[in-house]
Amino acid sequence: MFDIVTVFESLIEIVKVVPKTLFLALVILILSFILGAMLTYIQSLNIPVVKQIIAVLQSFLRGTPNVVLLYLVYYSLPLVVTSFLSLFGVGFDPASLNSAAVVIVTFSICYSVFQSEIIRGALHSLDKDQIEAAQSLGYSTSQTLRKVIIPQVMTEALPDTMNAFLIIIKALSLAFLVTVVDIFAQARLVGAQTFSYLEAFVAAALVYWVICGALTYVVNKLENRMRRGYV
Amino acid sequence: MDLQYMISILPEFLRVIPITMLVVVVSAVFGFLLSVPVAGIRIRKVPVLNLITDLYISFTRSIPILLQLFLFFFGIPVLLQLLGFDVTNISAMTAAIVCLIIYNGAYMSEVIRPAYLAIEKGQHEAAESLGYTRFQKLTKIIIPQMTPIALPGLGNAIIHLIHDSSLVFAIGVVDIMGLATIISSGSFGMQQVEVFLTVAFIYWGISFASEQIIRYLERRKKRVLNRTGYEMKEEAEYNV
Repeated sequence: MFDIVTVFESLIEIVKVVPKTLFLALVILILSFILGAMLTYIQSLNIPVVKQIIAVLQSFLRGTPNVVLLYLVYYSLPLVVTSFLSLFGVGFDPASLNSAAVVIVTFSICYSVFQSEIIRGALHSLDKDQIEAAQSLGYSTSQTLRKVIIPQVMTEALPDTMNAFLIIIKALSLAFLVTVVDIFAQARLVGAQTFSYLEAFVAAALVYWVICGALTYVVNKLENRMRRGYV
Repeated sequence: MDLQYMISILPEFLRVIPITMLVVVVSAVFGFLLSVPVAGIRIRKVPVLNLITDLYISFTRSIPILLQLFLFFFGIPVLLQLLGFDVTNISAMTAAIVCLIIYNGAYMSEVIRPAYLAIEKGQHEAAESLGYTRFQKLTKIIIPQMTPIALPGLGNAIIHLIHDSSLVFAIGVVDIMGLATIISSGSFGMQQVEVFLTVAFIYWGISFASEQIIRYLERRKKRVLNRTGYEMKEEAEYNV
């Protein structure tokens, strides 16, 4: 039956992996942001064939569930890395590939599509007049970028990016399939030790709930602060 | 890459698609039925129930669907025992469907609520001044205008549902993903890439078809919004 004390004990064990989960999510967020920015840039160039290839890739990434992609990368990444490195004559043992790397690669690619849409939306919201005004005031390109474009695009993109961060934290729960220990995987391990799965999962749910609540609160605060002076 | 092998395992996958479809359709239909009262409570701000639905939505939003599945799988029997039923365990399928109904109910209620709020106050007032009863107002004025606005969001909800249903294999339902893990463990680590690529293509196909339908609905929504001059005050923003 349900035991509150076990929930607390599991909670203590689970909280230990929270920093690791947040760090993994942050790495994925940053990488996917960079990839997304590159994707947005390439798309804006309108190169005939490249554009179609990216469109198909985007549709594929959006159309397949994360689990399937995770397994796909888990089984194909060692092969890809090995054959890629062998081109340069570097020997590589496929078994030595870290599974955390698999998770990072999968989710970075997966969420770069979403990030690129966020970036595109934020850039769209920027008024062209703003840039012209900055230019007429004699701002250099880097000044325009630093003082006019980025502050506004950041404000616009921040809520969605933080939302993406939350989504990544939640998506990391799939990492247990490839033996990476995040909050959910830890809950499974703790539950298996004591045969009290339900208590461990309730504890994990509480941890997720607190993280999401806290992050949402911080984002709202930050957004209000950043919007000040712009509206 | 072994194309022949990919094609040879395709029929096996086609045989389990109905299981995925069953999970998706049942959760979509009952999730929608659940979402209507939830949205109603949140729109009317019914004192105590409002708080409960807020909690319910923040729960489904904050917790990964995978964890929710496990919570329901292990939690429902305990809950039933507390209520006095003699149930020690439930089938994975039941747990999966109950979980997805609850999850999807929250999602869809967040689609329906903004759609309802997008209808102008003037429409309500006009209907009332013409002597429509509450029920008439709803069926003749509000719902016909809400439908085109809500449909694309509901379509998106179903795509998310299809994706989320790929996780039910984790508690032991043999759906497309479940079969894929079985096949891949039976192939002695030889052709896993092919197996999961096949699965990816199946899901891509399903999502692609659904996306085309949503695109069509989006266009209709734009037409309706243009014709009536409404603006969506808040779009549904709800993510997996």
